[in-house]
Amino acid sequence: MKVTIDAERCQGHGRCYEVAPDVFTDDERGRGEVISAEVPVHLEDQVRSAVSACPEKAISIS
Amino acid sequence: MADYGSSAAPTADAERERQLDIWMQERATDPRVYYAELRKKCPVDLEQHRDSIAVLDRTDIEEVLRNTDLFSNEQEIMGSAEPVIPLGVDPPLHSMYRRILDPLFSPKKMAALQPKVAAHVNEFIDGFIDDGEVDFSTALAVPLVCLTFLSLLGLPTEELDAMVHWKDIMIRPEIVAGSREAGMELQAKTVSEIYMRFAQEIEARRDAPRDDLISYFMTAEVDDGRRLTDGEILRILFLLLAAGLDTVTISLQAIFNHLATHPEAQQMIHDDPSQIDNVIEELLRWETPVMGTSRVAKVDTELAGCPIPAGTKVMVAFASGNVHEEFPESLTLDLARGDKAHLSFGGGNHRCLGSHLARMELRTVLREWHKRIPFYELKPGTEIVWVPSGLRGIDYLPLQWQIAVK
Repeated sequence: MKVTIDAERCQGHGRCYEVAPDVFTDDERGRGEVISAEVPVHLEDQVRSAVSACPEKAISIS
Repeated sequence: MADYGSSAAPTADAERERQLDIWMQERATDPRVYYAELRKKCPVDLEQHRDSIAVLDRTDIEEVLRNTDLFSNEQEIMGSAEPVIPLGVDPPLHSMYRRILDPLFSPKKMAALQPKVAAHVNEFIDGFIDDGEVDFSTALAVPLVCLTFLSLLGLPTEELDAMVHWKDIMIRPEIVAGSREAGMELQAKTVSEIYMRFAQEIEARRDAPRDDLISYFMTAEVDDGRRLTDGEILRILFLLLAAGLDTVTISLQAIFNHLATHPEAQQMIHDDPSQIDNVIEELLRWETPVMGTSRVAKVDTELAGCPIPAGTKVMVAFASGNVHEEFPESLTLDLARGDKAHLSFGGGNHRCLGSHLARMELRTVLREWHKRIPFYELKPGTEIVWVPSGLRGIDYLPLQWQIAVK
């Protein structure tokens, strides 16, 4: 699984790094950043939770 | 509010106002039922929202929040003559302000403030825990949030009472003053008082900066390398006061009203305090204390097939989008569900600047309260009255619990 955040859509709700702290972190403004685009299998559920928690639909997985 | 004017027969306008008040009370009392009924008629409401149309479906709400080319936020908010910053400003200027404001309200900055908030919560609880009962609203929900605001800004805690009074006039002038008209007058007078008071605080820091938000605003550089003007700082401070106080207070009231009437939820928190974050997110969704926000159409457009002429005020009903047949699971409450992208802090470029502050305050109150008062109930015989405003709160929320035997 690969994960990306659309920086144009992200508004800094901060849900991704709350829900999936092993996959996402926050920048100075509180916007989400992907720690590592390649997601290990054991963290895939975390990523799915983050996708459904993001009010801006800014997270994509492939 | 009753109209005690001398004219005998009620005019059509007065009748309309009376009906709007009834709808507002119904909406505040149970927005889930209210909006489900409205949605049966049409996804856009043209009748029941004062001075505006309301969009009720999630897709349309998101379109209005995100499409800043079609929908503007440049409108008078809470009686401020100048547009408040950043809420009353559109991009690209809006983005410039958010670039300096976002870092000040980031989760990391809010985490640093958390111990102080926890200490305040415990001081308030110390004051009433041995009584076995308290009005949660006046003894905790209102003063805690105002005190946090004072700490953040660097204002003396002696200002607490003045702050509580100001925010009441800002949020619901008609209730403080007794009528809509008197309320407008009182609000206008108070707005200039607040601006003058904040101007004094800026002056006091001119030659002696302190470690607080006001001093930061005075030294912050915006994109083009210039400082904020005093006028801009005042418009920011005014918004923080107007938007940052009642919103957290009413969220606390809505959450504790639910918990007090659901012993199984208290048990869940008692058994696993790590569920507190989930409980908060689900209750923010379910209760939607801030039921919506509004924009103004910049050009003729349409929403859900409904023509929207330029200049129309459009209310996006978060409370409707949060609990909606389109998402069947949203129709039930599940405190363990985890965050499902609710709209309670808005969205798009105006996403609530204080959302991380609010979440920190809510979590801190729930954690500290439940450590010390894990089981409690609504005082028997209490009839819960929701404030009939777009910000639905509960002014009187008496709770009681067993006093620990020492």
